[in-house]
Amino acid sequence: MSKHERAHPLVEVRGVEKVYPGSAKVAAVRGVDLKIDRGDFACLAGPSGSGKSTLLNLIGTLDRPTKGEILYDGSVVSKLDVDGLADFRLHTLGFVFQSYNLIPVLTARENVEYPLVLQGVGAEERERAAHEALKWVGLETFANRRPDLLSGGQQQRVAVARAIVHRPALVLADEPTANLDSKTGAALLDLMETLNREHGVTFLFSSHDQAVLARARRVIHLLDGALHGEEVRAR
Amino acid sequence: MLRLAWRNVWRNARRSSINVAAMGFGLAAIMFGQSMMKSLQYQLVEKATGSFTGHVRIQRSDVDEPKFPDKYLADPEPAAKIMDSDPRVLAWGRRLHLTGLISSPKMSLGALICGVEPAREPRITEMSKYIVEGRYLRDGEKGIVMGKKIAARLDVRLGEKVVLMAQAADGSMGAEMFRVVGISETGSESFDGQMVWIPLKSMQDLLGRPGQANQLAAKLKDLNQADAVAADFNAKLGPGNVRAMTWKSIDKEIIGIQAFQDGLLTIVLTVVFAIVALGILNTQLMSLFERVREFGVLMAIGARPRWLVRLLLIESALLGLVGMILGVVVGALMIDHFGRYGLNLPVGDAFKYFLPFPSVIFLRPAWGAHVFACATVFVVTILATLPPALRAGRLKPAEALRHV
Repeated sequence: MSKHERAHPLVEVRGVEKVYPGSAKVAAVRGVDLKIDRGDFACLAGPSGSGKSTLLNLIGTLDRPTKGEILYDGSVVSKLDVDGLADFRLHTLGFVFQSYNLIPVLTARENVEYPLVLQGVGAEERERAAHEALKWVGLETFANRRPDLLSGGQQQRVAVARAIVHRPALVLADEPTANLDSKTGAALLDLMETLNREHGVTFLFSSHDQAVLARARRVIHLLDGALHGEEVRAR
Repeated sequence: MLRLAWRNVWRNARRSSINVAAMGFGLAAIMFGQSMMKSLQYQLVEKATGSFTGHVRIQRSDVDEPKFPDKYLADPEPAAKIMDSDPRVLAWGRRLHLTGLISSPKMSLGALICGVEPAREPRITEMSKYIVEGRYLRDGEKGIVMGKKIAARLDVRLGEKVVLMAQAADGSMGAEMFRVVGISETGSESFDGQMVWIPLKSMQDLLGRPGQANQLAAKLKDLNQADAVAADFNAKLGPGNVRAMTWKSIDKEIIGIQAFQDGLLTIVLTVVFAIVALGILNTQLMSLFERVREFGVLMAIGARPRWLVRLLLIESALLGLVGMILGVVVGALMIDHFGRYGLNLPVGDAFKYFLPFPSVIFLRPAWGAHVFACATVFVVTILATLPPALRAGRLKPAEALRHV
């Protein structure tokens, strides 16, 4: 890590608001200030409608804040143009979605390779990196299966492999265990914890499931779009 | 991207197959239509030039109707030398055509009397092939070949005599007796019921115009060179009212028919292209709505909007390519089949009044037009995809990911 990297948190959310336009304007996120550090294993917690997903989308630059700004490593990214944001996500972020969202026509390996395809990485290097990522999630033997031939838990593990294959600074996961049974969900959290602990992958995920919250080392509570406390647990 | 695009095309195999089939059979129908029209036009030109007009003629330009020149070439020999010395000319001959009266003991009828050189004319036109009784003309005889219908109306048979009357050079009515040596049947009312053929020398004698003609007709080795050959002939003829003209200036009605058919074909093709475009647009819009969430995922992992646009355009191009290949194969097979065995069309009967025209059209490929059709189908396919592709490019990742 360079001096510059140490000087700033990985993510800094400054006074961010998100208001959805319409006849009845809805403030989904209100005046949130938040910092995420490298190596965090943090969870946004709160009931439905508390703004977890919206805040995660704003941090993931999938949406633009109505007010405030988001900084990565000290640089404002929320004002980049569309292509700039796409490039930023491609190189810096990884995403895991609630409903897996794998590309159905591609095999597990091809899905995992996709961020590297977009980065223009050569075929040999892509294959090696995808194999390694699938090995990390324990699915190297399923590399050539298409998503419809994988279970929900396996699909979500492939999604995790896709999120980490390009070694992003931050992996964002929106309710990653919501569609999984408790045993599979716990296994996925084990995997994310291992990746965080052994490979230094920073995770920020959202959930309202107490079993998930219990696994996070940092729980950021949201209520009605605003921060509502934070718990930090020892490693 | 190509691999993803190809798999995306076939993710809904039934819909893509229907689309490819619609495109392919649409293109095949276009190719068939183009081939049919071009073959019909080709056959029309072949029949018109091969039964009467010739490819290039030298005649007086100051005539009322170029098809039936009523003014004479006092000395046709300079024009004859020009035709004879041009290697692009396959055959040529002098002609002296004039309307006159043909009489049998029972009836008199008006007719177009065609004085032709018996040794040369069969190489220019194919009238000698339509003889069904007797034989074609010979030099130096007072023989006459006539159509079956005119013979029936005159009630004359092979070997019987008729009298031809026409206005001679001195203004008097020339009259000569001719013996029927051949009866032809083309199926055309004009040729079978209104025309007779006699040797040129006999015609010159009848009209009191020794050595004269009112046209020289040439058949070229390549019809497409008609314009160039006529231009060269005119350069050699120099100034004056003896000019070379192509069949296009003479058979203007054929050019009119061609223009009408081309216009009709253009309208039909435009409709077919529009149907293809709407089919593609529909498919791509449905595909877009089904995959909005997936586009959101691709954008989330770092795909730029223009990358998505490109992906959809490549999918469309692949779909178009497959449809095009299917269309070319089916179209080529249809054209080949009807090129070998012919296509029976009642349109032949419509032309028969004016000229001998078969009801069977033998299709031939019109590759220039086919390539244009393929390119147009391909471009239309791409263009039809542009609106949904641009729409995909304008999606916002967070909204796309919320799409159900």
